Amino acid sequence: MTDLVLEQAVTFAAQSASLLTFDSFLLSVAAKIAFALGLFFVVPLVGGYMEHKVMARMQHRRGPVEAGPFGSLQLVADGIKFIQKEDIIPRAADKWVFAAAPGVALVPGMLIFLVIPLGPGVFALDLELGLFYALAISSISVLGILMGGWASANKFSLIGGLRAGGQLIAYELPLILAAITVAVQAQTLSLVGIVEAQSTFMLPGTDINVWFVFPQIIGFGIFFIAAMAELSRPPFDMPIADSELVFGYMTEYTGIKFAMFLLTEYGGMIIMSALMVVLYLGGWQLLPGVPLPGCDGAGGLFDCGWLGTLAGVGITLGKIMALVFVMVWLRVAYPRLREDQLQRMAWIVLVPLALLNLAVVTVAKVVF
Amino acid sequence: MATTSAPGVGLLKGLGVTIKHLFKQPATQMYPKQRPDLAPRTRGVIALMDENCTVCMLCSRECPDWCIYIESHKETVPPAKEGGRARTRNVLDRFAIDFSLCMYCGICVEVCPFDALWWSPEFEYAEYDMGKLLHEKEKLREWMDTVPAPPMLEEGAVAPAEVTDAIAKKEKELEAEAEKQREASAAAEAPKSKAVESGGGAPKKADVEVKGAGEIDQETFDKLIAEGKSERIARSKAKAAWVRKEKERLRAEQESAEGGAEGEGAGEEAAAKPKAAQVEVEAGQIDQETYDKLIGEGKSERMARAKAKAAYVRKERARLTAEQETASAEPATDDAQADDAGAVEGADAEPAPAQKVADVHVEGTGEIDQETFDRLIAEGKSERIARSKAKAAWVRKEKQRIIDEGGDA
Amino acid sequence: MTGHDAVFLLVALFTGGAALLTVTSKNLFHAALFLAATLAGIAGVFLVLRADFLALVQLVVYVGAVAVLFLFGLMVTRAPIGREALDGQNRGLALAVSGTLFVVLSGLIIQSFGGVRAAEVTGPGIREIGIAIFAHWVLPFELLSMLLLAALIGAILLARRESGESGEESVERRIDFGDEPSTEAGAQALPAADTAGELPAGEPVAGGER
Repeated sequence: MTDLVLEQAVTFAAQSASLLTFDSFLLSVAAKIAFALGLFFVVPLVGGYMEHKVMARMQHRRGPVEAGPFGSLQLVADGIKFIQKEDIIPRAADKWVFAAAPGVALVPGMLIFLVIPLGPGVFALDLELGLFYALAISSISVLGILMGGWASANKFSLIGGLRAGGQLIAYELPLILAAITVAVQAQTLSLVGIVEAQSTFMLPGTDINVWFVFPQIIGFGIFFIAAMAELSRPPFDMPIADSELVFGYMTEYTGIKFAMFLLTEYGGMIIMSALMVVLYLGGWQLLPGVPLPGCDGAGGLFDCGWLGTLAGVGITLGKIMALVFVMVWLRVAYPRLREDQLQRMAWIVLVPLALLNLAVVTVAKVVF
Repeated sequence: MATTSAPGVGLLKGLGVTIKHLFKQPATQMYPKQRPDLAPRTRGVIALMDENCTVCMLCSRECPDWCIYIESHKETVPPAKEGGRARTRNVLDRFAIDFSLCMYCGICVEVCPFDALWWSPEFEYAEYDMGKLLHEKEKLREWMDTVPAPPMLEEGAVAPAEVTDAIAKKEKELEAEAEKQREASAAAEAPKSKAVESGGGAPKKADVEVKGAGEIDQETFDKLIAEGKSERIARSKAKAAWVRKEKERLRAEQESAEGGAEGEGAGEEAAAKPKAAQVEVEAGQIDQETYDKLIGEGKSERMARAKAKAAYVRKERARLTAEQETASAEPATDDAQADDAGAVEGADAEPAPAQKVADVHVEGTGEIDQETFDRLIAEGKSERIARSKAKAAWVRKEKQRIIDEGGDA
Repeated sequence: MTGHDAVFLLVALFTGGAALLTVTSKNLFHAALFLAATLAGIAGVFLVLRADFLALVQLVVYVGAVAVLFLFGLMVTRAPIGREALDGQNRGLALAVSGTLFVVLSGLIIQSFGGVRAAEVTGPGIREIGIAIFAHWVLPFELLSMLLLAALIGAILLARRESGESGEESVERRIDFGDEPSTEAGAQALPAADTAGELPAGEPVAGGER
């Protein structure tokens, strides 16, 4: 039985080998699951901590200072608090849907971490369809939000869920269109392959190596805005809109379920940042055209030795955190949009722009 | 999207503002770890100077929350003078403020006619039980030590009546004391120098006979008038002062006849360390301005003259003090001036130690009396209270020390 | 039976169960959710049959878009918050139609692929699919997209207000919206139950009118 599943897994995965692939199938599976879960539960906490601190300093506050050194364990403390809280289910709520919603929102986030490459060989899976997989899976978490909004039997939750549904449908389109443009330029859907393509991409007519962010700066902007909207991050946080909707679809949630929704948001920030790093910012390369220490061997991007591998992981995480910082920065700087402004921006500005970008890049790809 | 001529500029400006603020110091005060940066007269808690309280109940009645509880009883005070009327006095038994009701409006502090209630900047008196916020007068008195001293009077302002009264009272006490001391020293010296007159050998007050019927000490009279005493009291006191002076003069004559160089020595010592307190002015001249004003107001000529004289003395004293201060500020002290001051001092028969007490100014910049501090800490007081009390103790001791030194001189 | 078959069976049971619940569920929202589960199960079937691309397309189009649009539409229009019993009157007809369809389709499929073992199927790679769509079958593909575009434009035309209509009309329509029978029925059902419990029995308030 295992050999058949193994065969399945082999066909499903990997042109380039992951460091987490071992001779034993079960060991590999365990290592990959541990990798994805570790990423999912640790990196978002770092991102959340940074959000707390950066936002506080931009508002002349100190942010968390008590839990752990410089308050760095604040989110861990929050998690412990959430676990201890009473799990309240409103009497009118639809119990099963209410209970399942946070899970439906959370699990896709975990699954996406399977395909995100952090460094040379540091990823769980290198799917041939990696990019498509990430986008397809991420679209499922909308379901969880809609379920939570409806099942709470609360008008604020319902409106919040509605807004979330409308927003996520609207912004998924430009997001996917921008990502497709990158795939066209890289001629692959594999996330590892896209990083590789960026290491060899030259500006047309020259031999200057650049990342995709330079030829596709518009696409990057579209992807960034759409990602913020997908995550309901301020200034696109109409589904939560605490001044209008209490807390949107999360209004009735308490304790660990609420924490799961929150973790979905922070995990989503990391996922979207990681996708942007992979698609536009050259993955684990330090600078365009500069190889990592130890990476100049025959294996190129992938054969780096442990030092280069560590450096690569560090560079990727650093880039992710830089993007999270920008998201926090925008959150502090801008007020929330109105719902109609949000929809207008998606359908009238972003979608046509993304289509135009796709057309231009495709034509350019054929011409050059 | 933006309709302005330069789209997106506003967005960039917003980003610029926020990133600029990222590098500014946060405004947070890390309170339990750091002392908050409060204004010195922060209204933290209401303190009670229970010695000042006359149980007039104004505060309790004005309190909008009715959170002040006062209990008292009456005591009969025997008449001050023979044949006077016995008086009743309210004695404070209990004074409590319920800070769980208090809304910190400060009306009680405003309304207190005797400065018994004060705002203290102390604010750390939170409790885990609402009932514990009812604080009795002992606790309220403790907070009194954290009340900052009232601001200094303006330059040249007339001292308030309470202060001048207190000075006069203290003056009297000290005078009596000085007299006693002088007598004691005279008694001690007497057997040394000469076997004097009668009995036990010690010269007594009674030994010096003063013949006087009706003479008054003009200086004292003027001073008292200036202080606003009735003419009758001033006259009687002045008479007494004259007798005292006369006695002193006679005794001094006696002693100098016995060959005392002490007087001179004392004068020299005084000259050696001139203090602001020791400035003496020779009375006799009058302040024409004040005189004219008073006459213009229809006062009697005598009253006007006395008050004007007092005014002159005040002015002169202020001038001399200022001079001395500038002189002592320079390391190369003007000897002549010091001698001058000494001469003035010497020339004046009556040293006024009372003014010394009042004017002793102790420069306390944070020194604390370690002993008091340790004791209070051992008693379980908060550090803040202990520190302030120890500071006060230090100031008291320092004052005492200076006074003692002055007394020696 | 191999492991592969076992996995297929599990996924198929899940999908079939969800499909059954979709049609038997009395709550419209639940039905929509079970539909989403069914569609996700079908994606699982594709995955087991090694059609990864198709599985992901199924996920992104049907679960991520169609099911979400269903739910979204339900919440916008009917918003059946809480428990609500709905039942169609056409059960028999529906059973007949779907039964016939099931028999016809499964007959066709078994006739065509009955001899192929699922474990032996190898799905085409993404590259082959791309070449097939955009090289060999580009005309049908473009025609299909034209069809979708026409549907889209038609929907916009239907939903669009006529040029002569003014804003007042929209206010009126909003009131109509609230008076839709189903919403009213749902809205009345709950308070009626509440008042009946709370008011004294002698009071002939709302209960008498109904």
